[in-house]
Amino acid sequence: MNPLLMSLLLIVALAIFGRIMYHKILLLMALEPVNRFNHIKVRLLNMVILAIGQKRLVGRKKEWIAGIMHAFIFWGFCILLIRSLSLYGEGFVKGFQLPIFGNDSIIGYLYIALKDIMEGIVLLMAAFAIFRRAVLKPERLHNTWEAYFVLVMIVVLMISDLLLDGARYNLIMLYNNPDHLHFFNNPQYGSEFLWTPVSVGAAALISWMSADVTGYILVGMFWLHIITQLTFLNFLPLGKHFHIITALPNVFFKNLEYPHQKAKLLDLEDEAAWEDESLGINHIHQLNWKQGLDLYTCTECGRCKEVCPAYITDKPLSLHEFNDKLKFELFDNADNIIKRAKLSATIKEDGDSEQMKEIKARVVELNSKKQLIGDVIEEDTLWACTTCRACEEVCPVTIEHVPRIIAMRQGQTLMAEAYPKELNPALKGLERNGNPWGIGYDKRADWADGLDVKTMADDPDVDYLLWVGCAGSFDDRTKKVSTSLVKILQKAGISFAILGVEEKCTGDFARRVGNEMLYQMMAQENIETLNNYKVKKIIAACPHCLNTLKHEYPQMGGNYEVIHHTEFIDQLVRSGKITLNKSFQGSLTYHDPCYLGRYNSVYDQPRSILKSISKDGLKELTRHGKESFCCGAGGGRMWMEETIGKRINQERAEEIINKHVENVAVACPFCLTMIEDGMKELEKEEEIKTQDICELVAKNME
Amino acid sequence: MKILTTVKKVVDVELTMHVEDGAIVEDGLQYVINAWDESAVEASVQLKENNGAETTLVSIGGGDNTDMIRRCYAMGIENGIHIDDPALAKADASIFAKVLQKVYEKGDYDLVITGKQAQDTDSGQTGIILAEYLGVPCVSNVIAIEVMDDQHIKVSRVGDAGTEIVELELPAVVTVDVSINEPRLPQMRGIMMAKKKAIDVMDLAALGTSDDEVEGATPKSEIVEFMVSKTRKAGQKFEGDAAEITAKVVDLLANEAKVL
Repeated sequence: MNPLLMSLLLIVALAIFGRIMYHKILLLMALEPVNRFNHIKVRLLNMVILAIGQKRLVGRKKEWIAGIMHAFIFWGFCILLIRSLSLYGEGFVKGFQLPIFGNDSIIGYLYIALKDIMEGIVLLMAAFAIFRRAVLKPERLHNTWEAYFVLVMIVVLMISDLLLDGARYNLIMLYNNPDHLHFFNNPQYGSEFLWTPVSVGAAALISWMSADVTGYILVGMFWLHIITQLTFLNFLPLGKHFHIITALPNVFFKNLEYPHQKAKLLDLEDEAAWEDESLGINHIHQLNWKQGLDLYTCTECGRCKEVCPAYITDKPLSLHEFNDKLKFELFDNADNIIKRAKLSATIKEDGDSEQMKEIKARVVELNSKKQLIGDVIEEDTLWACTTCRACEEVCPVTIEHVPRIIAMRQGQTLMAEAYPKELNPALKGLERNGNPWGIGYDKRADWADGLDVKTMADDPDVDYLLWVGCAGSFDDRTKKVSTSLVKILQKAGISFAILGVEEKCTGDFARRVGNEMLYQMMAQENIETLNNYKVKKIIAACPHCLNTLKHEYPQMGGNYEVIHHTEFIDQLVRSGKITLNKSFQGSLTYHDPCYLGRYNSVYDQPRSILKSISKDGLKELTRHGKESFCCGAGGGRMWMEETIGKRINQERAEEIINKHVENVAVACPFCLTMIEDGMKELEKEEEIKTQDICELVAKNME
Repeated sequence: MKILTTVKKVVDVELTMHVEDGAIVEDGLQYVINAWDESAVEASVQLKENNGAETTLVSIGGGDNTDMIRRCYAMGIENGIHIDDPALAKADASIFAKVLQKVYEKGDYDLVITGKQAQDTDSGQTGIILAEYLGVPCVSNVIAIEVMDDQHIKVSRVGDAGTEIVELELPAVVTVDVSINEPRLPQMRGIMMAKKKAIDVMDLAALGTSDDEVEGATPKSEIVEFMVSKTRKAGQKFEGDAAEITAKVVDLLANEAKVL
């Protein structure tokens, strides 16, 4: 069309875009390292399923319409990229043809047909998106001018391209313009317009225009399309629409181990780390590059907060705002972070000490002037999280919120010593007696008196170690669960033992509140005991213990095969070692514990057991499975008062009450306490019984 | 201001104690800082942080108290003295007070803060006897300490009916209740620094005294035997018809308990 103008536009647009991107990539490279270049095949597969396949958008029952809308806009954009390339070519050379997708190939024709329909669909979807934002106003969406601006740009892109084709069609068909206006006209497959019904429709809309005006429309739409596209490109990195560029890499580089990135095993004796304040996250430059990319990618869609127990019950934690605040802190400090990284790289341990000291001082000066916790993120926000991971399960771009929160808590506890002091009694209990209640460790096995349970000291050659946990050992209500579990194991003839007074808290809650010192102390002592008895298989009666034993102890040399009691009971039922009666009467529902479900993907076994005993079947709660709602006790919240907003356990108890069930089954001692307390607080404990699956099984087996 | 804080290592009372032949069975026991003394340590550290003071702790007897003293260092105490001497094996409160008097006299302290009692013996005498020996004012059961000036402090003490506010001229001894504060949990940074700090361990001779001087190491009281306190028997629960239960209870009261 106009090589000079095209060159000028491309050079300016790409130069600006290149500069912005260069800076953004430089910033990521200045953040902390983390290896995300392994297992390329798995990563590609994730990208195909989650990003390209839009699994969490389309696959979420609750919002499948919005999911489809987004997916078509995304797929439309991917398809239209090829068309854009040919338009850029057309800008330089009239009649430009792409290889493979050109005029002489059926692929080219199939492509223009697909592109034509896609443009129509994207246009409809973008219009629906505007309508949804402006009229339907879903609560999770946070309406900004930016969102509308981008949607309008999408509409303009679609309309301009359709009108470009429409104008060409009218000039050819109505005004007998020479054939060379055709992009595609192959004698074998015919005129391109036989393949593009939407463009032909667009042509009809402007068929009243004169030949001259139509000619202007053609040229005008071409340049409007190109300019809008280049503006769009440069607008993306400036705001939340950066995800259009970063979502694919963000999913590609997603964490592959465990459900999310494990807390770092900190070297607490590393004096340099204390000096740099690099234990946990204390400064914005201590994010790793993937966590930086997460911030680039957050689209503020609000799915995270919509499922967040803290947000729902009016705690001051809104995860997309959390991301936003970190992102702005990151961008505000971008230049200093880049300088800081360059300067840090020049520090040599064996260098001239005076000179090194000076460099270190300069490095420290480049730290953000804001306190990460306090100025950027409020303390109450950081401590409101129950680490339930609901946010991570729904995030379409796989952002990991919880590991960041844990690392910040580590910083607060270790470096700043600014953690909620109400945790002290529980932490002290752990330190002295290996349990958060602080009850004498010598009473740990008292619950098993008279049950004929062996300890590992009695018989280290048993097949399984039963890991009872602190609640099962010390909490009167949960002791009944332990007793039921023992009955089941004895009935099935399982060879097992407990550690008795040698068992200590796994350290789960200490780790979730950032007290890495106490966690490591607990873990080390437990691992020594377990390895001493050469324990191989563990049945854990608490999902928190399960999670820590299974996923976190390997970091410190404790490798065991760990399963939860519901998984084990399910195996016993399937292998016929215990027989269940379908004798349980009364409606029944199941509350998924976060650390069993979302952390360990155990969803089916508890349900299968319950279905085997319940006469009336199993009624699902509205929020169940992957989107189950936390009881409020995870992440150390069990040991903190809940003074802000509504109590999380009451929110969950209400949901159960509204399902009109008489029984709720749980599989975690914290859930048992919280749900039962919720029922008591709402005066429903007589109508709705809360029991662990073990108790139900013990009462309904032959 | 120079503050001396006394700390005692006691058996963790969360554990069940067993007695054999009138002596406590040591097996399985663990020792912790006396909770009241932990509050005294916290109170000293808070005075240091808020008003500026030099803090020293002293522990007596109990063998190796390194862990406990380091824990107090990690809480913020600056200096530690541990007095260990075989002559103190059977010491009672009066002997401890005498030893503390020697420590006090060596250090030129302005204020002594002790826990008002120890979890193991609950005798609550040491601080008060010390004040008597030193001839300085003493307030016990203190729940708040406020520094007025270099020479005076104002303390609150609780009684059954209310709170007394007492002004004291220094030097003085105060014994504190656990409700005075919530002792901090030592964190890693403090623990690491504490590892590098020395503990001044001395016997009576090194303290500049001798058995004779501490009353010839003859305690004014002697423990002759330990006994485990009786635990209450589990109660009986009756369920069913009210009239039947009443009859049963009356029968038991009359014939088994023989109180009717």
